[in-house]
Amino acid sequence: MLESQNLAFSYDGKTQILRSIDLQIRPGEVVVLTGPTGSGKSTLAKCLSGFIPRSIEGEFSGEIIINGENTSDYPIAEISRLVSLVQQDPDSQICTLKVSDEVAFGPENYEFELKTMEKLIKSSLFAVGASHLHNRNTHTLSGGEKQRLAIASMLSCQPKYLILDEPSASLDPKGILLLRKILSQLKDKNVGVLCIEHNLDAIRPVADSILSVSNGTITNWTQIEEQTLTPSPAFVPSNKSLLSLEGIDFSYGSTKVIQDVSMSIHEGEIIALMGGNGSGKTTLVSLLGGLLEPDIGCVHLGKDAMSDIDRKNIAKRISVVFQNPNHQIFERTVWKEQILTSEIIDNMHEDSIERSRNLLNSANLGNFVDRNPFSLSHGQKRRLNITSTIAHLPDILLLDEPFIGQDQDGKSFILNAITETASANGAALVVTHNPNFARNHCNRVIFVENGSILLDGSPETVLQRLVEIGHSEYSELGVNS
Amino acid sequence: MENQTEFIQNRGKINPLLKILLLIITISGIMIYPSWRLSSILLVVVILLFRVSRASLKLSRNRTKFIIIFSILLLIFQVFITVNGTVLGFVIPQLSNFGPYFPITDYGVERGLSIASRFLLVVLSSMLFVAVTDPTLLAHSLTRLKIPYRYSFALIIALRFLPLFDSENQVVRMAQKSRGIQPEVGGLRKILRTIQYTFFPLLVSSLSRVESLAISMDGRGFGYSENRTYFRKSQWKLSDTLLLVLGLGYVVLCFLLALGYLPILSAII
Repeated sequence: MLESQNLAFSYDGKTQILRSIDLQIRPGEVVVLTGPTGSGKSTLAKCLSGFIPRSIEGEFSGEIIINGENTSDYPIAEISRLVSLVQQDPDSQICTLKVSDEVAFGPENYEFELKTMEKLIKSSLFAVGASHLHNRNTHTLSGGEKQRLAIASMLSCQPKYLILDEPSASLDPKGILLLRKILSQLKDKNVGVLCIEHNLDAIRPVADSILSVSNGTITNWTQIEEQTLTPSPAFVPSNKSLLSLEGIDFSYGSTKVIQDVSMSIHEGEIIALMGGNGSGKTTLVSLLGGLLEPDIGCVHLGKDAMSDIDRKNIAKRISVVFQNPNHQIFERTVWKEQILTSEIIDNMHEDSIERSRNLLNSANLGNFVDRNPFSLSHGQKRRLNITSTIAHLPDILLLDEPFIGQDQDGKSFILNAITETASANGAALVVTHNPNFARNHCNRVIFVENGSILLDGSPETVLQRLVEIGHSEYSELGVNS
Repeated sequence: MENQTEFIQNRGKINPLLKILLLIITISGIMIYPSWRLSSILLVVVILLFRVSRASLKLSRNRTKFIIIFSILLLIFQVFITVNGTVLGFVIPQLSNFGPYFPITDYGVERGLSIASRFLLVVLSSMLFVAVTDPTLLAHSLTRLKIPYRYSFALIIALRFLPLFDSENQVVRMAQKSRGIQPEVGGLRKILRTIQYTFFPLLVSSLSRVESLAISMDGRGFGYSENRTYFRKSQWKLSDTLLLVLGLGYVVLCFLLALGYLPILSAII
């Protein structure tokens, strides 16, 4: 059994992240851990896997006991043979250039024999359904494939316990179904799993117990915590086109990613842009935002061709928020970051300053105005990305998977921003895998496959049609990402 | 399904260590004997090797443009500044009392060709080396030279993260564009701000990756022991020794040519 007794931790000695955590994970058991952003879930994962206090400094107290033995004297390499941690971003964890090398990395470090290594690589890749990837280069893998590789490369070290930090974050519904299968198989192999997850619907079917962290302590999770968001009032979109694509083709080098796409975004629309990993959703958002030039076709903002409009003018009318928050923070304080766009587009007046303050307060960032934005948590940074691009009241919001890693408050805030924009004769397009969001808050769903629009219509029609054409995972899961 | 997994253990026919040695040898040779004819012959050989190894010579549009334009500029610059040698003509010919200016001499053209062809050779042979070398096998061959594996792994990690860094740079530029941030060059303050807007996000993103990577590597026993085993290993074969001897012979030849011991051959190449 992997257990923590009376575990407490603080990074700076002042703010207590964890206080008196008692947790037990038995072999063959899947324990799911949820809780608000910044509640200390990832910190707990690092304590259980031994990186705190060995590699990461802070005030640590309590005990980690593995199979009855106190591990306080164990070096990190010894603990790692028993407990493995798969972190949130799979891309940052891959350190070699070939799939087989990556899975072999652990066994090589532990000086395994060639034959044992070969056996371990085969069985680990098989366990995550990735045997066919063994000779591929790591940088050519999709997000879901990288996630599976990260798990396989830990399994090859034969740990007794596996900790997964937000494993469903970068997965499409197909990937989530596969993840469930992987977790079931790990249970069969008697591996104890701790799964940190916001998206409970993704993992719940295979979970043995669900716990929640808040205020540094662990409690049993109760359904009340996960309130479903109130469905938005239905807007009747007008026929006025705000933004349109006509016959767009786009390629990265010789790889065509968007093929003959035409679409319009109208006033009052909230559109869910859905599709599998690598289907071209993010590229489509970049084309809509005028951030990529199409190879063929044209983009119109209102009646004007996008290529004829000044960059600042586009920024005034369209707000784009990407997936990784670190790539879109530029200033040294939260406040400077918040007013950056307003300054650039010369929109600094009392109203916009007041609106910026209100936005930060409603995003629970009001107390951090002087903080360096890079020191915020992932969820806080994502909220800042949104507040800093909507203070000047743009007409169109283009949001790429904004709900990932957000707790209930964060989700409500983002949802408000979306509905407010749409109700003020604007529109929002949201990349999402979540059919519940599409059903309850959108008045249109666009489903893309292989760079083309496969389905476009009302949420009911599109979700129903998806079931009919064999994409039932989008309806079945009800993934609450 | 499990049994069908067959691993490609060692794809390269030449030892990766020999590849790096041959790269160094080739470049040293043309520095010792800077003849444009020798560089051009080697350039043709390198391009042929690209074809043989089926490595792609295609670069992104901007990079190809940069390499070609830069080598042409090197050639023109040398032709302009070199005045000694037999005059072949003038860039600006004599027009009544005006000119002539900028003589073109045979020596200037030769020097220009020599520098431009050497530049192209260095760039293309390095590209060929990167394209045909498996970094994991190179790391293994370096450890056989008693270089600690921590250092050879730095090379693998650098190569692993280069494409990622490149794509992150593109995303940051798109994020700047979406906020209306445009590169500004008017005055030091604006230049510094442009640098800040690009480097802050990239730096923070890289640092957070470093932490994740360190945890991921430590968590899989990196540094557990002084030694480690290797799933894929490089091998040194007889053909590698022969190629090395050939390479060393080329260096000796370059020395002899440079010192003037082979006047007939140096008249040809």
